[in-house]
Amino acid sequence: MSEDHEDGQFEIPNLKIPQFNVVAIQRASIALLIVVAVLTSFYTVGPEENGLVLRFGKYQYATDPGLHFKLPFGIERVMKVPVQRQLKDEFGFRTVKAGVRSQFASTPYLDEANILTGDLNSAVVEWVAQYRVVDPYKYLFRVRNVRETFRDINEAVMREIVGDRTVNEVLTVGRAEVAMQVQLGVQDLCDQYETGIKVEQVVLQDVNAPDEVKPSFNEVNEAEQEKAKLINQAQSEYNQVVPRARGEALQTVREAEGYALERINHARGDSARFVALYQAYAKAPEVTKRRLYLETMSQILPTVDRKVIVDGTLKSVLPLLNLDAPKGGGQ
Amino acid sequence: MKIGSIILSLLVLILLANLMYVVKETEQVIITQFGKPVGDPIDTPGLKFKLPLVQKVHRFDRRFLEWDGDPNELPTRDKRFIQVNTYARWRISDPLLYFQRLRDERGAQTRLDDILDGETRNAIAKFDVVEVVRSSNREAEQSNLVPEEQVNLDPIEYGREAVRLEILTNAQARTTDLGIEILDLQFKRINYVQDVQRKVYERMIAERRRIADRFRSEGQGEAMRIRGEKDRDLLEIQSEAYRQAEELKGDADARATEIYAAAYGRNAQTQDFYGFLKTLESYPAVFDKSSTLVLSTDGDFYRYLTDVDGR
Repeated sequence: MSEDHEDGQFEIPNLKIPQFNVVAIQRASIALLIVVAVLTSFYTVGPEENGLVLRFGKYQYATDPGLHFKLPFGIERVMKVPVQRQLKDEFGFRTVKAGVRSQFASTPYLDEANILTGDLNSAVVEWVAQYRVVDPYKYLFRVRNVRETFRDINEAVMREIVGDRTVNEVLTVGRAEVAMQVQLGVQDLCDQYETGIKVEQVVLQDVNAPDEVKPSFNEVNEAEQEKAKLINQAQSEYNQVVPRARGEALQTVREAEGYALERINHARGDSARFVALYQAYAKAPEVTKRRLYLETMSQILPTVDRKVIVDGTLKSVLPLLNLDAPKGGGQ
Repeated sequence: MKIGSIILSLLVLILLANLMYVVKETEQVIITQFGKPVGDPIDTPGLKFKLPLVQKVHRFDRRFLEWDGDPNELPTRDKRFIQVNTYARWRISDPLLYFQRLRDERGAQTRLDDILDGETRNAIAKFDVVEVVRSSNREAEQSNLVPEEQVNLDPIEYGREAVRLEILTNAQARTTDLGIEILDLQFKRINYVQDVQRKVYERMIAERRRIADRFRSEGQGEAMRIRGEKDRDLLEIQSEAYRQAEELKGDADARATEIYAAAYGRNAQTQDFYGFLKTLESYPAVFDKSSTLVLSTDGDFYRYLTDVDGR
């Protein structure tokens, strides 16, 4: 090897490297320092964020959205917190795929949602807590694992509030009140634990009876429908018959009124006729009477098939008369 | 010589680096010198100095830390098994004591398990299950639809908060000499164990059935009432109509009778004439083809048949 050196034939540039150029290295490192200094001396804060500046790990001040400068080389560091963004935590279910038509999963989170009520029944409560970071300092530095803490708080408070109500209240009338109470309770604990979180809203989603009990809840609904149906049926029967009967009653009454009018009119007519007849009769009673009699007789006699005329002086003939002669035979 | 200076400057650098340390916002620190604690714990963040090499920095969290209990099946005073899942928030209040007693967080969590689970068990065993579930004796808002749904809750004596505070204060007393402060303890989940849960479901189902039965029988009862009303109304309407009709007819008959009587009964002649007329009028109706008339020539009609003078 040394022989090759002395020849100078193999003077490879590599071999010169150990003899480093101090000036070049100095220049290079200064340049590098400047680049690093420039790169580490500014930062941007997004529109929904606040920047928290730490100098040697100690919090200095917060910055608003935009471009900002800081001390380089990690002397000052920046932590960003999305203070404007509304954050959301789901309990008892998870949004699998958000979108116009979101998909949800709830079965695996039944433990989260299954809550004992005050009357020692069970209700399955799914809810959403919406919150914002209002104190980024507390949010970052006062509590380890804020997210988990917030979830724990929610579960505890929801159970406290639901535990003080009956299952019916939770399922029906008390829903809004439960949400409100939970929001207050969660905020209380968030303040107590110095999370820097403001709870904006607690929304109860599905509140149900447990799956095992659901069919019987439905049965109650069905029974309620059935009740309404039975009543409606009876009502309709009533409506089918009673108004008609009212009409019929009116008919009867009107007919009676008609009868009354007829009866009275007949009476008036009859008596008027009688009076008129009598007045005419009174002028010549004997003749009129006879005339009326004869008229009537001449009207009757042709209609009667059998007529037996007996001489008033021969009364003994009568028993010999054959009354059973065939009908239709003329006299 | 060059190498010597490089080594020297490296040594100086290491010493300098070892002279300074950073305490983060989330940390508190104690310094030990050959294992012996020196000075007060440092809980202000920023750049700090110490003796290089001989002093060592021990960092501890300054934040509220979480503790999550194991879901345990615990018996209550009324001998029911419930599953209680608690959580606690705690912090290292005295890092030195903490360092001496527990060394690190793993040790702390284990001790907290012992203390909090134990206190929870003790407290749960002292109370009925309702005391752990409910917080107050507030009146349940009743849905006044069905009496079955109106629940009269048994009054509670202590309530969830009292049970919680009992666990908390007992546990707090036991952690002061560990350099730990327990900030809060809450029941995260309380549930029946599986068997009991099933029984609860059965009870709920039975209750719902009762309500459903009630609805059905109410429906039937109401329907019968309506049918009864229908029958009653029908009879009332019909009989009322009958009454009115008969009254009208009766009045009319009476009036007609009066009118007839006034016309016919004026005097003896009219009465006689009426009798005569009426009799004549009735003849055509009385006789028909099958009647047999036996008439005597003595009678008015045929008297001329045998005698021209009618004698």
